[in-house]
Amino acid sequence: MNEPPRYPGYDVLAKRDTPSWNAKTRDVIEQRLATPNAPRFFSAEEWRVADALCRRILPQTDDEDRVSLAALLDAKLFADHGDGFREASMPYMREAWRQGLAAIDAEAKARFGGRGFAILTDRERDALLRSMQSGEVNGARWLGLDAKAFFERRILADVPPLFYSHPKSWNEIGFGGPASPRGYVRLDGDRLDPWEAAEAEPGQEWATDERNRHVV
Amino acid sequence: MSSDPDQLRATQGRAPNVFRVGGWVPMREYRDSEAVDFVIVGTGAGGGTLAALLAEQGFSVIAFDAGGFFRPLEDFASDETAQNQLYWTDKRVLDGPNPIKMGGNNSGKAVGGSTVHYAMVALRFRPERFKSRTTLGYGADWPISWEEMWHYYGIAERQINISGPLNYPWGPKRPRYPYRAHELNTAGKLLAKGCEAIGIGWTETPLATLSAPHAGPEGKSPPCVYRGFCRFGCSTNAKRSALTVWIPRALAAGAEVRDLAMVGRIETGSDGRVTGVHYHRDGAWRFQPAKNVVVAGYAVETPRLLLNSATDLHPEGLANSSGLVGKNLMTQTNAAVWGRMEEPVRWYKGPPSLAITEHWNYDDDKDFFGGYCWMGQGPLPIEWVTVQTGARGLWGDDLRRAMLDYNQMIGVKMVGEMLPNEANRVTLADDLDQYGLRVARITYAWGENDKALVKHALEQMGASIQAIGAKDMFRQEDDTAHLGGTARMGSDPRLSVVDADCRSWDVPNLWVCDGSVFPTVGGVNPSLTIQAIAIRTADRIGRLAAAGEL
Amino acid sequence: MGDTLERLRETRGLAPQVKSAPATRPPQPVRDPVPTAVVTAAQRLNRAAGVIATSVLIDSAMEHYRGNFHNKAMFTPLIASSLSIAVSLHGLSDKRHGAHPLRDLVYAIAGVTGAIGTGFHLYNVTKKVGGFDWQNVFYSAPLGAPAAMLLSGLIGFLAERVRDNEPEGEPHVFGLPAGRVVAAATAASLMGTTAEAGLLHFRGAFHNPAMLLPVTMPPVAAVLLGAAAAGDAAKARKGARAWIALTAAMGLAGVAFHAYGVSRGMGGWRNWRQNAFAGPPLPAPPSFTGLALAGLAALALLKEHAHE
Repeated sequence: MNEPPRYPGYDVLAKRDTPSWNAKTRDVIEQRLATPNAPRFFSAEEWRVADALCRRILPQTDDEDRVSLAALLDAKLFADHGDGFREASMPYMREAWRQGLAAIDAEAKARFGGRGFAILTDRERDALLRSMQSGEVNGARWLGLDAKAFFERRILADVPPLFYSHPKSWNEIGFGGPASPRGYVRLDGDRLDPWEAAEAEPGQEWATDERNRHVV
Repeated sequence: MSSDPDQLRATQGRAPNVFRVGGWVPMREYRDSEAVDFVIVGTGAGGGTLAALLAEQGFSVIAFDAGGFFRPLEDFASDETAQNQLYWTDKRVLDGPNPIKMGGNNSGKAVGGSTVHYAMVALRFRPERFKSRTTLGYGADWPISWEEMWHYYGIAERQINISGPLNYPWGPKRPRYPYRAHELNTAGKLLAKGCEAIGIGWTETPLATLSAPHAGPEGKSPPCVYRGFCRFGCSTNAKRSALTVWIPRALAAGAEVRDLAMVGRIETGSDGRVTGVHYHRDGAWRFQPAKNVVVAGYAVETPRLLLNSATDLHPEGLANSSGLVGKNLMTQTNAAVWGRMEEPVRWYKGPPSLAITEHWNYDDDKDFFGGYCWMGQGPLPIEWVTVQTGARGLWGDDLRRAMLDYNQMIGVKMVGEMLPNEANRVTLADDLDQYGLRVARITYAWGENDKALVKHALEQMGASIQAIGAKDMFRQEDDTAHLGGTARMGSDPRLSVVDADCRSWDVPNLWVCDGSVFPTVGGVNPSLTIQAIAIRTADRIGRLAAAGEL
Repeated sequence: MGDTLERLRETRGLAPQVKSAPATRPPQPVRDPVPTAVVTAAQRLNRAAGVIATSVLIDSAMEHYRGNFHNKAMFTPLIASSLSIAVSLHGLSDKRHGAHPLRDLVYAIAGVTGAIGTGFHLYNVTKKVGGFDWQNVFYSAPLGAPAAMLLSGLIGFLAERVRDNEPEGEPHVFGLPAGRVVAAATAASLMGTTAEAGLLHFRGAFHNPAMLLPVTMPPVAAVLLGAAAAGDAAKARKGARAWIALTAAMGLAGVAFHAYGVSRGMGGWRNWRQNAFAGPPLPAPPSFTGLALAGLAALALLKEHAHE
């Protein structure tokens, strides 16, 4: 995504030692940032497919400080940290992911001359995912798992929240971030507390960057 | 630092004092050889309230909860993902044409129940809705008059210390809320402007969170700091949940709380009366005898427990001669309209629903039954991305780009009445949970009236935000919130599970005290009504005991 | 006529004019005179005005900082109150009779600023959705706050009018006995300030019993002053003096109570950047102290001239 930063210089992590964060929050975020970038739940093959999938669901450019969504997904499944329920036609979260990743890989190989999902081009992967979303994909490869349901109820439900659980995403959207014990004094959208992210007006990027760097 | 919330905390003669970091209060403990007066299963809006009020009347009470005993000041992170710890994420099966999303959407697992994560909206039913069949021609009548319920609402509002407006625009005059309404954020002000633009009234939402400091015998709380993480646990204790209001009172009055204790089965004797509960705690199954058992696990776990307690004498589950246990499951429609404003909104500042309109609960100029309200919104990033993917199907660069508008978004979300239908129900699936118990299967389908109500609401909500300049509007149509109905209250044992006192018709010492008892679900958030019912039930139990009728 | 002139010159600290020989060196100021009763009364009122202005300076600075100074006019009360403090200090050390034109000007500016500020705040309240409803009266610009600025200007104005009297005899303000005028003005001012404190304490649901103090003590003080202003000045009871002194102390105690209130916020003083601005305003209560001091000055004036 090539958009100029709306909140230049803003970093939620810079508030770590301010009253906006408490000890529990620091622990939780530290653990998240230290998520091992290697599978504990997935097999090596599943990991490759998951990684390729995550890169399309929430693309990050090469020059960004990339967040490994596959790592966060693997950690989530390893801990079985989900909503718990399953729809009657689907397995529970962990099993659904294993089945779904295998099916996506099989689908890719069938459509793209034996090439697995992880080695398709971005465009090919997107095409496959779009056809899942529109319900065009079905069949024996999916072993009874509904591709559209898997796309909507597992992929879209599980993957984007991983990105938006990372402080980098909060900086990008100008979210205030952790807020305890200190919350907000000025409750209006157009009145900022000094510890909030200022949005850059055109031509004001440098000044806003300066202001946001000193947010505490 | 204090012990891990995955470990037992209410044990060895003490329980956490949620008002003091690392603090404890003494807790009376009962031996499992002695039959206590009341075992209560679930410590939320129904069970927590009842535990306190029964203990204060001198009954011996043990309140069980499958969840842990959190210390909000220490255990709650400002993080959506980590706070998944508050929800019921055990196995459940969703079924039907319109499956109800469970988990954090409507189910808590904690001492304090779902009130630990609720959005604190504290509303009263419109009086006519307690007799919706006779006065408005739909649903079922409650076996309690509105006057009585409004009396108990007043007590609930005082005890919970609701912060609300000085003049409430709808319904009969109500006593002044104990604390003043909160300041509106921009999201609230925009809801107000939108309502004015389409010519309907609005008000500051009565909320169960403090707008000024509070000091009670159990401890002190600061006022709300407007941090916006309400639905992920209030780390300041400004939120008035069962954990900060009722459980401390229950403990002070001599009740025992057993955390991390999953009640799997209610035991009955040959005389058909309950004798106690089997529960799993600290690695083993145990039995607690009781003279009375109150089930307060909310509208899924309550029928599940009753069904799982089937015996040869009660093959269809306990208290189920009517066949209605698990049936008439209701949720409430939670559809929304979202849009983008020119000006920044930054809805993350403050409780999500600071302003509300109940106009369509009181205006009957509609061609469908039931009512609804709508309120402002303030989703945090993950909540918001889930709306974008769920309602718009966005992913990829499109999603990431759309999320950049986070600080300019506006939304209004309804709480809408759905009608009871026996086909909507909780039954037992064959799946087993981690305790080896059959899990709940939750089957749901929207009816024609439900769809008509949502259609009307979406038009109204859309008109209101369009009128104030929202652009690129989109709808979220399928969302639901809250539960009720699966152990309905009534005056006829053939048509209900419990009577007006929440006492089951079939088993005189078995009670249900939670949202399951609602014959209709109304067009407002249920938590205040559940607490009012619990206060009334405590009152009624006291009178029945005094009259020797327990 | 000449005698009068002589007396006037004397009271302005000028040496008696030597009618015969031209002065060979600048006239020596009279040895540092003890201030007359009139000047003492005026100085008391300067002090009262200064105390209120100090409260206004810090309070408006904090509140307008909370408002991000989004309108440049929000700097005006800081300037006006600072100048008021300066001229009040000046008046405190000035033992001369006669209204001082600069002090008069600054106090007038303070009064006008307060009046205009009230207009701004009223606009701020009424332009919000809901207009003049409880939500906006509670949470938008406080309607009574600029009035404190106006009151400090008023008290200062009265200080100069009192000072603008003969050293002998009862001072008058606009033809009326000064003691009665100041007492009446202070009584009205106390009621207004009580209304503002009462509004905000009502917003706080009187969650702490001490919050009842500023809605009970100052009204009693106002009634006592009103009675003194209207009634038999000889009968201004000793009790009135004690009660008003107590009210002055209440204003100072209010700062301590508010500090406790700030500590009751989540995170306490460590979270001062939220709690000092969202919590009870620390600099507000001493406005009662300033008014009480004006009340004491009025009582002194009434007592001195009770026989006249």
